[in-house]
Amino acid sequence: MLRVENLRKVYKNRKKNVTETVEAVKDVSFECSPGEIFGLLGPNGAGKTTTLRCISTLIKPTSGNVYIDQHNVLDDEKAIRSRIGFLTSDMKLDGFFTPDYMMDYFGALNKMSKKDIQLRKEYLFNELQMTDFIQKKIDKLSTGMKQKTAIAISLIHDPEVIIFDEPTNGLDVITSKSVTDFLSKYAKEGKTIVISTHIMHVAEKLCDRFGILVEGELKELGSLKNILERNSSDDLEDVFFGYILPGTEGEVNHV
Amino acid sequence: MFSDSIIILKKELRRIFTDRRMVAMLVLLPLLMLPVMYSVMAKMGASRDSDITSFRSTICIYEGVGNEDFMGPFIEAFSTINTDLEIIQSSEIDSVKLAITEKEKELLLVMPDHFHESLAGCSTFDIAVYFNSTADYSQHAYSRMSEVMDSLNGDIVRERILERDLSEEILTVFTINEVPLQYDLAKEGSVIGKIISILLPFFIIIYLFVNSMKVGLDTVAGEKERGTLAVILVNQVSRLSIVIGKMISVMIAAIVGAASSVIGLIIGSRYFMGMFGSSGAAISSYSMSSLHVLQFAIVLIPLAVLVASMVLIVSTFARNTKEGNGMIMPVYFVVMIMGMATMQTGDVAPRWMLSTPIINSLLVLKEIFMRSASWNSIVTAFLSSIIFAAILIYLTLRMFSSEKILFRI
Repeated sequence: MLRVENLRKVYKNRKKNVTETVEAVKDVSFECSPGEIFGLLGPNGAGKTTTLRCISTLIKPTSGNVYIDQHNVLDDEKAIRSRIGFLTSDMKLDGFFTPDYMMDYFGALNKMSKKDIQLRKEYLFNELQMTDFIQKKIDKLSTGMKQKTAIAISLIHDPEVIIFDEPTNGLDVITSKSVTDFLSKYAKEGKTIVISTHIMHVAEKLCDRFGILVEGELKELGSLKNILERNSSDDLEDVFFGYILPGTEGEVNHV
Repeated sequence: MFSDSIIILKKELRRIFTDRRMVAMLVLLPLLMLPVMYSVMAKMGASRDSDITSFRSTICIYEGVGNEDFMGPFIEAFSTINTDLEIIQSSEIDSVKLAITEKEKELLLVMPDHFHESLAGCSTFDIAVYFNSTADYSQHAYSRMSEVMDSLNGDIVRERILERDLSEEILTVFTINEVPLQYDLAKEGSVIGKIISILLPFFIIIYLFVNSMKVGLDTVAGEKERGTLAVILVNQVSRLSIVIGKMISVMIAAIVGAASSVIGLIIGSRYFMGMFGSSGAAISSYSMSSLHVLQFAIVLIPLAVLVASMVLIVSTFARNTKEGNGMIMPVYFVVMIMGMATMQTGDVAPRWMLSTPIINSLLVLKEIFMRSASWNSIVTAFLSSIIFAAILIYLTLRMFSSEKILFRI
């Protein structure tokens, strides 16, 4: 169970003796239960990546809390890290290694035994249909194969909570479908999944609940049906554009 | 913690030493390049010397007024040089000078008018010899001419002494070390060690730094650039383990690369060490006792740790490897200047040098090569490198905790 409570992140930049303050995430709260996929939607610069980095312990919130089960990111980073799998779309794995070696490496970093790593590799390689290229150097793989490798690496330690920043970004239709199918199946196994995306049709198909983040503020929160009803719309993309077009004001609509 | 560092270290070493291109760049290239480079340089130098000495230069002579019958000994002396002599008139002096400037002729001698009177009266007269120091042939002809003139000068002086029924020995008050004995009381092997100590510590620090740069900049800045650092950081491995693992891998690569470069340098020394007055074979035969090897390792390993830590802190601070390359260059220049400074020190280095990290280690390496290092200075160099490396590792760790530096927000 993931619970984000009043999360706020302020960046301070000092330029020529003037401190510039940017509030990247403003009082964001949401929950994601086991078996659920939560989609954090928003344009570039909306605060999606910052929110996911706070959840992943990579950066510290200015205020607010993030809980995974009963563990808080502020004082129990180690417990949080053992429970999460994190992936960013801009990750480019070192092309010199093979997917098989990278799985061994990240498994070891997660303090897994060789036997557990082997079992987990077999499961993930089969599920993600990777067996044909696990011994090839990552440099020689297609974008889709690389993304599958990155996903497998982030799931090597069988995390309870999965945080994926733009998991289908830059993928072709077939690979994108295989990734979304895998995530759906994975959620059904009781995993908690949070993804960020700006591709609406991926979000609609994959996510059970959504949060629309604009300029750090959570403008919408709820299921697809709830959001569409509340905005009297039949298209999530229209709702999304309604928030990001200039001059649009909106209150946070909770269900 | 150390088991995590070993996991990181193994991966980094695998990255470095199973990549053919990296191995070629780090190990094979310096091993082969330096001997090939120095042998080509030596061959080209020999070929150039042979060309210069075999060249037949043109020497123009203005005999001066009233000297026609007294030029014999000079002309005879010049004939021993590989040269064509041209007797010119005073009106041609300026055009010959221009020809020497334009590298068309090599030398011009202008004899003073009536020099025979000075010769007969045993008074000194001056001969003007014009040459072009930027022209190899002219410079060589000038050197040969000076030798011949010195010899002629000596012959004339000896004739004058004999004419006065005096012994030639009047010209020599005393000699030094004419009796064949062992006059140099330096420790055995330390003479070659002195030659090695001038160059090798400088090359060692340069090779350590360059090889650290080859692998070290990518190790954190590259991971940042590829986005993989974030994935490592959300694993259950401590930041200290990451820094230590990466630092040791950079250090090992630097030592292996530097060793390869130094071996290449020693092989290449056969071709270029002649300039230090010792044959290349003698340099190659230089050996160190197990005690000196131990002393060498005690100084070198902490120095490599310090260098690796310097590269790692820059790699951690930089956004990407490109930025890291730009940032490391000023540091590289400072290290290079430190290395050069140690080449110029005498037997007793200034106090500030002994208390400056890197420089003090290089000075101790020099002493080890000359077999005169004291344990006191070895321990000082060891502690200095370790303390400064620890400070840099601490600062790198602080950077690993900084969101601003890791994610450049």
